Parts: sequence; C-alpha cells; structure tokens
Amino acid sequence: MIISATLVVVTVVAPFIGGLLGIDGRERFPETLSSRGMPIGNFGGISWAHPLGIEPGIGHDLLARLIFGARISFFVALITTILSIAIGVVAGIIMGFFRGRVDSTIGRFIDFLLAFPSFFMIVALSLPMVQRLEKSGIAEGNTARMLYLVLILICFGWPYLARVIRSQVLSIRERDYVMAARALGASNTRIIFKEILPNLWSIIIVYFSLSLPGYLTAEAVFSFLGLGIQPPDASWGLLISDSIKYVMNEPTYFFITTTSLVFVVLTFNLLGDAVRDALDPKSEAS
Amino acid sequence: MFGYLVRRIATSLAILFAVSFAVYAIFALLPFDPAALTCGKNCNNPAIIEANRIRLGYDIPFWQQYIVFLGGLFAGRNYGEGAAAINCPAPSLGYSFNEHECVTTLIRQALPVTASLAIGAMILWLIVGITLGVVAARFRGRSADTASTIFVLIGTSLPTFLTGLLLLVFVVIKWRIIPFPSGNYTSLFENPLEWAQILLLPWITLAFASAALYTRFVRNAVIETLSEDFIRTARAKGLSEKVILRKHTLRAALAPIATMAGLDFAALLGGSILTEKVFNLPGLGRLSLSAVVEYDLPIIVGATLLSAAIVIAMNLIVDILYAFIDPRVRVAA
Amino acid sequence: MFKNTSGSSRIARKALASLAAVTLLGAGLVGCSSASSGGGTLTYLTHSDSWTHADPNRNYTGQHIAWFGSYMHRTLTAYKRAAGADGSSVVPDMATDTGRASNGNKTWEFTLQDGVTFEDGSAVTCEDVKYGVSRTFATDVITDGPGYAISMLDIPKDKDGASVYKGPYKSDGNDTAAYDKAVTCSADNKTITFNLSRAVGDFNYTVTYLSFSAVPKASDDGDKYDMHPVSTGPYKIEKYVAKDEMVLVRNDKWSKDSDPIRNAYPDKIVVRFGLAEEVRDQLVINDSEPASMSLDGILPTNLATIFDDAGVPVEAWKDRAMNVYDPYVTYSAVNVEKVSCVQVRKAIYYARDFAALQTLAGGAAFTGDPADGVIKPLMGLDYKKTTGYEDWKEEGNAEKATALMAEAKTACPDVYKKATTTGLTFDIGDSDTNKKAATIWIDSVKKNSGIILKFNFIEPGSYYSVVLDPTKQGDLSRAGWAPDWANASTVIPELMLDGYGFPLSRAGKDPTYAEFKKRAEANLSEPDRVKQGAEWAALNQYVMDQMWIIPGVFSKTQEMWGSKLTGVFFWEPQGAPSFGDIQIAK
Repeated sequence: MIISATLVVVTVVAPFIGGLLGIDGRERFPETLSSRGMPIGNFGGISWAHPLGIEPGIGHDLLARLIFGARISFFVALITTILSIAIGVVAGIIMGFFRGRVDSTIGRFIDFLLAFPSFFMIVALSLPMVQRLEKSGIAEGNTARMLYLVLILICFGWPYLARVIRSQVLSIRERDYVMAARALGASNTRIIFKEILPNLWSIIIVYFSLSLPGYLTAEAVFSFLGLGIQPPDASWGLLISDSIKYVMNEPTYFFITTTSLVFVVLTFNLLGDAVRDALDPKSEAS
Repeated sequence: MFGYLVRRIATSLAILFAVSFAVYAIFALLPFDPAALTCGKNCNNPAIIEANRIRLGYDIPFWQQYIVFLGGLFAGRNYGEGAAAINCPAPSLGYSFNEHECVTTLIRQALPVTASLAIGAMILWLIVGITLGVVAARFRGRSADTASTIFVLIGTSLPTFLTGLLLLVFVVIKWRIIPFPSGNYTSLFENPLEWAQILLLPWITLAFASAALYTRFVRNAVIETLSEDFIRTARAKGLSEKVILRKHTLRAALAPIATMAGLDFAALLGGSILTEKVFNLPGLGRLSLSAVVEYDLPIIVGATLLSAAIVIAMNLIVDILYAFIDPRVRVAA
Repeated sequence: MFKNTSGSSRIARKALASLAAVTLLGAGLVGCSSASSGGGTLTYLTHSDSWTHADPNRNYTGQHIAWFGSYMHRTLTAYKRAAGADGSSVVPDMATDTGRASNGNKTWEFTLQDGVTFEDGSAVTCEDVKYGVSRTFATDVITDGPGYAISMLDIPKDKDGASVYKGPYKSDGNDTAAYDKAVTCSADNKTITFNLSRAVGDFNYTVTYLSFSAVPKASDDGDKYDMHPVSTGPYKIEKYVAKDEMVLVRNDKWSKDSDPIRNAYPDKIVVRFGLAEEVRDQLVINDSEPASMSLDGILPTNLATIFDDAGVPVEAWKDRAMNVYDPYVTYSAVNVEKVSCVQVRKAIYYARDFAALQTLAGGAAFTGDPADGVIKPLMGLDYKKTTGYEDWKEEGNAEKATALMAEAKTACPDVYKKATTTGLTFDIGDSDTNKKAATIWIDSVKKNSGIILKFNFIEPGSYYSVVLDPTKQGDLSRAGWAPDWANASTVIPELMLDGYGFPLSRAGKDPTYAEFKKRAEANLSEPDRVKQGAEWAALNQYVMDQMWIIPGVFSKTQEMWGSKLTGVFFWEPQGAPSFGDIQIAK
C-alpha cells in the first residue's frame, strides 16, 4: 500500500517537475542517429546522456519525451477522472436521495446515454467535433483535441458511477443514523454532507484509482487510432503507437514506452486494490 | 409480471427511438457532406455533388431525411435511374457509395464475423475467469491466489491493441507457432478448422483483458458468499468444501456474473474496433472504423443504430430474466 | 499526375511515356529464373481496404492500371511489357494494330482481333467498347476516371462547359445522338472509329487507359459494377469482398492466341486487403508466404533489414527487392495568394532541416536526392540545374533565413506578422511518418527563421479534394507530381497556370505571373523540341526564383516480394512492377 502510494505520487509529480526544469522534449540530437534514422549504439542508444535512449527517426531524448508527454496524458486522464466523478457523485446523490421523478428522469437519461456504443461514438465524432470546436473559436489544435477527448469521455463516463452511488445512497439513507439525524430536524444539506458523503469516500477513491489508468489507456488507444494529440506535442499514446512500428528493429524503444504505460496503470490498480482492502472490512487483505 | 414486461419493453422501444433520432440528428448536423463523398476522391466539381445530393436525398431538411430513413427501414429505398439505379430492399439503412453496397447487406456480411469473435471470446474468458476466480478464492492467500492476482493485474493493465499486435507479430510471424491464416476470415460452416485457427488469437486477445476482470470479480463474489450465513450452515452440516463451492457458492455468484457477461457480450456485438483492426477481421468494428475515416455517413448511422439496438435488447433480456429470478425487482421498478 | 501523400503507402499514378533511364538497383530482372513456368497461387498484400476502383472506367492510378491491365482488362492498345525504356512503346492489344489515324489525326480507327471474348465466352464487339467509353460521360456515377473521352471526342459542350452527352444512364435532356456521331461502329461490329474535336497525334497512347476498355451493357449496374467487373483478360473474379480479399481464377474463355502480350503464369491470384502495415511487411520480410508481394511501399523502419546504407539490397535480398527512381518530384506548394511575400517563402526553404527529414524517412538512399525545382533530371531536354540557391544547406541555413526575414519585416510587414505570430498552416496527408516530419518542420523552421508552422493532417483519401479547394487549402500544401509523358508541358502548365489541373501554388495571384503565363503559353506550341525544352528549364528557374514551391526530393520507391517469385521488373510507363510477368518458382 505504501509502496503503491509512493509510486503514484512519483508518477504524478514527475511530469510537473520536468515542466519546472524546462524539459520540453523538443530538442533533437541528430548526432545520435545513423544516416537511416536508427539510434547509434546498443539498446536504443542508451547512454549517460540519454538514460532511456533515443526516439528513432527524429532523435529526441526518450526520457525527456516521456516526461513531456506525461504532462498531456496525465492532464487528460486526471481532469476526466475528477470531473466525471464529480458529476457522477452529484447525480447519484440526487437520484438516490430525492428518488421519485428526479430519479427516474435522470435514470432514463442514463439508460439513453449507455445505449450508445460509446467507444464508437467517441471515434466517430472526433474529427467533426474537433473541427466544430476550432470553428467556434473556443480552442484550437491540440487544445481542441484535448478538450474534445475530456468532454466526450466525461459524457460517457459519469453514468456508471452515478448508478453505483445511487444504489449506495438508497441504502445509506435508510440506515438508523440517517433516520436519527432526520428526526432531530437536520436539513437535507446537512444530511447529505455530514451523513451520506463520508460513507461514499471509499467507493469514490476506489473508482478514482481504477478510472485514472483507464483514461490513460484510453488516450493511448485514441492516439493509436490517430485521433489523439498531434505533434509537435507528445503524449504517451503517440509514443506508443509510433514505437509499435519499431518492435522488430528497435525493441528497446518499444519496450520502454509500453512498459512505462503498463507500469503506471499497474501502480494505480495496485493502489486501488489496497485502498479497497483497507476500507472494506469484508474483503480481508490479500 | 405481465405489466412489468409491457412497461419494460415500452421503455426500451422509447429509448431506441430516442437514440435513433439522436444519432441521426448528431451526424446530420455535423459538418459532414455525404454527397461530396460520392463524387470521388479527387473531385472538385460542385455540379456532380449537387446531383448526387438530390439523388441520395440529402437535399431536404434533416428531420424529413429522418422520416425517409425510417420509411426505408420498412419499405426499402431506391436511388438513381436507368441501368445505374440502385435498390436497397427493406430493412434499408441506406446505400454506401464508398463500398458500392447497401448498408444492410454490408452489416449482414460483417455481423457473423463479429458474432464469431464475440461468442468465442466470451466462452474463453468465462472459462478462464470463473476457474481462476474460484481457485483464487478457494486457496486464498496461497500461491495460486498470488498467481491469479498477477494475471489480473497484467490483464487489466495491458491495452488490447498491444496484446493483439504482440501476439500477432511474435506468435504468428516471428516464431510461427501458429501458421498465418491463409485467408482473412472463413465461415464456421465452410471450414470450422480454419475458422477457429483464424479467430484463435483474436479470441485470446479479447478474452485476456476480460478474463482478468472476471477473475477478480468471481474471486470477490465467492469470498463474499463464503462468509454468508447459509454457507456457514452448510459447513456446519459437514458438507465438504468442494460441494459447498460447487453447489452453493458458485450458484449464488452466478446471477451477477451472467448479468455482466450479457452486457459485455452486447457491447462486443457492436464491433470490437481494435481487435478487428489489428487482426484484419472484416467485422462490424472494421466496417464502422473505415466508415468514420471516410465520413461514410450511411454506414456510421447504420452501425451505431445496430449496436445501440443490441445493447438495449440485451439490457431488456437481462432485466426480464432478473425479474423472473428475483420477484422484488418487479415491485421496485 | 499527383502522388499519394500518406508516406508509406504509395499509390503511383499514370506516369511517363518514355523516361530515359530509370536506374534499377534491384537485380531481380526479367528471366531471372528459368526454372519456373506456371501454376501456384500468387498473393498480394496491402494495407488498403479495397481497390480504389476495379471498374475499368474509373481506374486512374498507375499501379492499379498495371495490375488490372495485366490480369483482367484488355484495352485497344497497351504498353509493351519490357523493362527499361522499351516498355514505353505501344503495341496492339485487343486491336489488330496500334490504330489508324486520318483527317489530320482527328479520326482514329481500331479494328478488333478475332477471338477476343468476355469471361462468358461472348465476343467483344465494337459496341461493347463504345458502351464502356460512354460510361465515362456519366460523371456523377462513374467517378474518378480520366476525362480523356470527354475532352477529346467531338461532342458539343453546353453553356457551362459540360458535355451535352451525359452517359448511358440518363434519358431526359441527354444528347445520345451526339455520342453516336462521335464514336461509330462498322457494319460487322469490329471496327471502332473515334472522331475527335482536335488533332491528337498520340491518341493510341490515350487508349491504353483502362477507361477505353470494353464493358458488356447487360452486366452494367452503375456504381455496383465496381465490385464485379467482367473480365476480358486471362483471369476473372471469383471473390471480391472489401476489407477481406479478392480472388482471381483462370478465365477459361481467354486464349493466348488472341492475346500475345499477356502471360498467365499463376493459377490463382489473391489480394489480401486491410493488413496492418507492420504485419504486411513482416509477412514478406520473414518470407512467411514465399509467393507473396507487397502492393504498398515498405515502412521506413523496415528498410534497414533489406537494403544497405547505399540503398542496395543486401545479399539475402538480392532477388527479392528493388529500390528505383520513380517519376515523381515532391514539393510543398506555397499558396502565393496567402503568402504573398517571396522573402518569407524563401526563408522557409532555407530554414527547413532537410537533413533531419531525410534521416526520418530512412535516408537519402531511399527518399531520393534533394530536388531543385519541379522538373526531374531524367527529362534531359527540359532539365537544367537551377541556380541562385548555392548557399542552401541540408541542415538549414539559419543566417540566411534570418536575413530574409529581416528583409520581409520591411518589405511585407503583413505577411511577416502573420508568419511570426498566428503562424502559417501546412496541409499534409495524415500518417505516422508525416506526424514526425511535422515536428521537424515546426521546430527547425521556428528555430532558424522565427516562422511558426501549424500542421493540418488530412485523411489521405480526401487529401487532394481538400487542398484543391481554394476555400479549404492552407498556406502550404505537400504534393508530388509526375509528368504524363516525357515533356515538361505536362508539368509547368499543370502546376502553375490558371485553368490547368493542379494549381496548388495559386501562382496566378502573383504580381510576376503575367510574364510567366505569356512565356509558358507560347512555349506550349513551340515546334522546336530543343528550344521548347530550354524554355521549360528557364521557366523552372522562374518558379524557383519566385519560390512558388519549396522543392522536396526527386523521389525513389522500394518494392519487396517473397522468395518464390521471379520475373519481377519495374514497368516504367505505369510506375509499378509488371504484375503480369511475375511467376512462382516451382
């Protein structure tokens, strides 16, 4: 648990430190490439100057590129996770707490959203929506692409949590201490914030630790399909989809980029498990 | 029960209708020009585009187009005249100029591929997931449990497209453990062996991630049930751990697993874009992905509607089954 | 004509009629192995989901013309199947000779041989050819094909400049009589006569296009014919499913007696569509299917396995790969209307890190040599090395670029401001390699000149329809061009003059255009070929002086195939391997 937490902190903080140090991953080192664009030296050109080697073809330092790319990847994942959790929790509490018409209206809307093949819709709407965003002058280029990705992922992401929260709230509001608080004349606001919300934290944290790596992977998938961030900016997805082509000729490059993603996702999964075990007395630590 | 059924079916139909309208509206209002596509790749002749816009019926407001589209579903549609006339019989989802085929025909060709992929993958992940999950729960804290935990972590951390590409490049091409399939896809009824051979890696790829999720889910469900009162009673009666696992625990855990599997299966039937892309299977996912890349509107709308219909139908089936099993649901809904 | 922009998958189009010397670095030439005769299944691998078109009247891509022309569609005349310049001569195909011209080259006659049949065994008649050609007039259905019949046949135009004949599908307001007058059949239905609106001395080259092949009226169902064209050649379609595969089997109605130019070595031909690019390459590289050939280029990352640093196939690949100059010149057209400042245009040229772009694409041995204009040195009469850019450096010349920008600041402050603040947009085909290339362009141009570039990645399939639309085109657009035959009259006017095919530079908006136009138009009718060539070279220099395009490379192309294939050679006029001569070794 402690190990996982440390790893999470390191992976989240590193990119921002990189930003402070002014590493932008844009500097090319042409002398590290052979005339046909492959890194000179063994293992993808790993050296003291370039601890993770060189990005083939273009000659960026891979470590700098990964750190630079992590900022965008984490930014997308983090914002999406936080916002979809916020919307999901609010909607879930409203549905569970007030029940009745509000509940069924939002419930139908959730059914409606979940009926869409979400992955396909995200892919299908990508190009035209980004164009729309650019035309309307809200954002441009990669900002528009990031904005689109965040918005659409939230759009299809919140309903799941809302449903879970709703069922939790339904059962919590019938518990004795909530009844007692109500009998004592506590306002709805007070009940929600003082009695219900604290009981939801464990779900929210577990959901967070599972969502974040999920959205990180999503960013990689969309880049693989050519719909994510465009160069000169970097993201992990872009690096991975590029490195796939080198799996035979420069396996180190492929190995390092993919391992980075798998490693981070793994870390978050471990953290999620640990938090769940710690918060849920029923499932003893494994 | 009957009242519940009617209500549930009515809501499902209403949602399907709303989704179909929303899909049509979203894509009709976006800056796609379906007529421009029909003019060919290097076309800059507005007259041809205009002629095709009229021929395809994109010259009228979108809500009228939607009504025509709904009409086509029941009565079929005709485009053009003379020898070049095109007829798409009911249920018509339109005609794709990019694929030179009626959308319904295209979907009919692609669906068996996707269905084969989905069914095989589901069987595989259910077998692996349930077995590993039960074993992990039975031997909790021991090495079998640790091994399954590692499997779960890797499975949930590796993106599908990476698993697929790695399997393909190494297992098939580099190490030649499985020969590269001699065709892209063969029907089960034509050549079952080749069918299985072609689909084996895609099945593994798809099943890998899901099996991990199911292992975790089954493990937790079994552990949870094991601590329930009726299991304790069974234990007190002196039943062996094996019998308890098989007869009581698993049965109790099966309902939620079936629900999950049903919904996951529905999602898969809509097309597994990544797996189909990596393994080059001519299924619904590939069809819709290339339609998106080429802005082929009729296919996009058709494929979206189909997968929405499948998801809604599967939700309905799961709910109804649940209602049969658990009477409380009927009252609550 | 133009070039596919996606980088790795290369679709070469109709190219040179007679390029003098295309270097064949690969050794796999004709008759390399004599141990083979016929039989077997030949497999083609491609990343594309389907053929752009299988309908002969809609085919306009050199590689596809070569493929379908080899296996399925016969034409009145055809290019000779031979390596080197010999391949650019025309021989009779369905016709008994290479055509008979009269009336000052305005009337052309072709007589069909006996024994030419469709795959159902029925004889190909003049009416079938006439019907096939008529389809090209239905421009709303039979899209993408060449417009030669429309522009050359003697059929009146309406007030919008469109032909009064609209093809065989329309009945209302369609002047079918005009077409029947322009194309006539003899009484025995064997001789077809084309009446042209102007003298065309090499019309027998024009009819090598598949758009002049025969289509049986009874099988034509318009757009859908693209999926099941009827064969007149040695193979016919057994299966064709997009995203899946195409299977050709022997056409037993075809006889070698009536078709001396085609070989029919394999028993079966399979095309597998939609393979992931890495998978496609690895299948050939690992020789997993020894009787297969890639229809696309080779991923830059895989070139190292096959070729040495000089671009010559390594020992193991001696007979399985080639690296040849293709007919294309690549360039980035600068939209003169939007970037109306010659100093800024030149600054980009000087600032770009050309060396890094070459390295990215696998090195100069594979991409080709730096171009100095739009005319390739192979076109001996029309080429002269352009001057004035001796201080250009492959890795970029920051000093010169900065100096030019300083000039631009006073000479054209508006463009200067736009280039250095909001930036210039650059259209490019969407591909992984192009994305990395964009990074190099952006960073090097910014560093060396201060100009900001912004890239617009466009789906390759719709690339040219976007950039040819002046309302959608950006400030710069990537492109590639090859002449239709060995005369720069198919280059300079096409790229630079208003009203011609490919005016990406919009040179007509340049203040110096008037003089250029006068000279170019005059030179089109210059009877002395040597003088004409010298003037084209001078106009090429003019283009460079105004920097209407930023030159790229005189490009090269690579092909690779499995170990069991023999007889592969580069068919120059089509810019593709001569598919029909490939055999499978026993």
